[in-house]
Amino acid sequence: MSLWTRIAGWGALIFGLLYFFVPLGGLFEFSLKARRGVYSFDAYAKVLADPQFQQTFTYSVVMALVTIAIGVVLVVPTAFWVRLKMPWARPYVEFLTLMPLVIPAIVIVFGYIRLYNTSSFLPLTGSVMGTNLLLAFGYTILALPYMYRAVDTGLRTIDVATLTEAAQSLGAGWVTILGRVILPNVIPAVLSGAFLTFAIVIGEFTLAALLDRPAFGPYLQRIGANKAYEPFALSVIAFGITWGCLVLIQLVSRLQKTAQRPA
Amino acid sequence: MAFLTLTNIEKSFGAVKVVHDFDMSIDKGEFVSFLGPSGCGKTTILRMVAGFETPSGGTITIDGKDQSRLKPNQRNIGMVFQAYALFPNMNVFDNVAFGLKVAGKPRDEIQVRVTEMLKLIHLEHLADRYPYQMSGGQQQRVALARALAPKPQVLLLDEPLSALDAKIRVSLREEIRHIQRQLGITTIFVTHDQEEALSISDRVVVMNAGRADQIGTPFEIYNRPATRFVASFVGTLNLIEAKVVDAQKSTVAIGDQMIVLGEKIDLAAGSAVQLAMRPEAGSILPGATGNTTLTGQVVSSHFLGSVIRTRMDVAGNTVSFDMFNDPNMAPPAIGDTVALKIDSADLIILQA
Repeated sequence: MSLWTRIAGWGALIFGLLYFFVPLGGLFEFSLKARRGVYSFDAYAKVLADPQFQQTFTYSVVMALVTIAIGVVLVVPTAFWVRLKMPWARPYVEFLTLMPLVIPAIVIVFGYIRLYNTSSFLPLTGSVMGTNLLLAFGYTILALPYMYRAVDTGLRTIDVATLTEAAQSLGAGWVTILGRVILPNVIPAVLSGAFLTFAIVIGEFTLAALLDRPAFGPYLQRIGANKAYEPFALSVIAFGITWGCLVLIQLVSRLQKTAQRPA
Repeated sequence: MAFLTLTNIEKSFGAVKVVHDFDMSIDKGEFVSFLGPSGCGKTTILRMVAGFETPSGGTITIDGKDQSRLKPNQRNIGMVFQAYALFPNMNVFDNVAFGLKVAGKPRDEIQVRVTEMLKLIHLEHLADRYPYQMSGGQQQRVALARALAPKPQVLLLDEPLSALDAKIRVSLREEIRHIQRQLGITTIFVTHDQEEALSISDRVVVMNAGRADQIGTPFEIYNRPATRFVASFVGTLNLIEAKVVDAQKSTVAIGDQMIVLGEKIDLAAGSAVQLAMRPEAGSILPGATGNTTLTGQVVSSHFLGSVIRTRMDVAGNTVSFDMFNDPNMAPPAIGDTVALKIDSADLIILQA
């Protein structure tokens, strides 16, 4: 590699890092300026002490966990079945799971409101629990591309067909096969999907705002519109959560590689 | 009475028929190998016995009960796979215990049975290991123990030795046979390796294009191949073109050499016939026995230590023969004319 190529490479890397980190640095620096003349964590303290922050954050965490549970129950058996019995259907299922990336969340939520309003055959928006459920289903759809891909990649690392047949020959039914053989072997992949789902749900605004649920996304927007320093502190916290999830995905991926080292 | 019977079994995948009218009865405790090249239908039959494939026609019974429409988990059949198929998330103990847990056996019984199985395969000291911490041979022994733990009626082995190296393959096949005899379990073993099939089976089924070409003991299969395919697939064989001279007297001509065969010929005089001869059937050593002589010219001779492999030309046919090394006799030289003594019973007429 010539000297110029090496310099150009380093230059590109440094430019990329600056492009990414300078605005973040500015954001972080500004979030520390709540007290005039000195750096302080006052904005963070105010945000964390705000009961609305705690309520909306807790709500979003609970919704994220519910979404993950629905996602696992929906995606793991589907991906397993497609891989085992319907490999021809894989491109179609993949296409279907990619739809949420193409159809905007606002279209999905208007569809929901139209279908499940109080005068419909299934008036889910008529009650708090019903709306919460609708929101969780909506989040599941938004997270579907990530969850499906993560689980499908996990299934690719094991010999699904032979393990299934081995379990069947030992007397196991489908529930046992899924619960005791397949799922434990794709747990790292499921966790990857779960962390991505968590990150998506925590920051999601459209669905929660239009279904009028007290989630963290709309709270972020509200604070951003009315306060000076707190929104920046909140943004840093939200970045921290997302990055935390990414670090966990990396750790889990490494764990998976170690656990499935070939003999 | 037969323990496992396959009656008129057929299997088609779309328009392609992969198993044709397959009939077989296997006795309790018998070890039967299905031998054949890739795509001959041997694994499909095994998978139909296991319940992973549904026959397009025919019935499968075990101990008199029809299994044809039962799901795989209702059949009480143990299976060992080529790729081991141990559950990666479970250690050796849990792998072996899996079938017993599924059957809802009490904890104490599971402990006793798993320990017994691990002793059987001499791996009781590796109970806590995970599959990725073991060699291929060890994993396959665990897979065998796992298949045997729930006391299945039939054991199915789907090319269990193919992924192992040669030395382990030989020792493990002997171990499998030893365990099978010890437990007296009815076993079907699928392989494309003739040495494996011949060395451990009570009977061998040679499969060709979805049909059983021959079912017999390893001795019969090797020494009396029923078809041209069996003859060419099992062991090395010389194929010699001959002409019927006198069917009544079983006389054929190879070039200008007249040979009287040991079996009846159902062909008219003048018909072409193909004879088969194993390389070890003849000898040129002085004092060699045999009621027939084939004379030819040596085209190559290889000294392999204990064995000398020679090829000679007999009326345009290349005939290869092996004989043990004799320190008192030099190997034949190229161009020598030699007389190969054979027993006429060792010259087999190939029918199909």
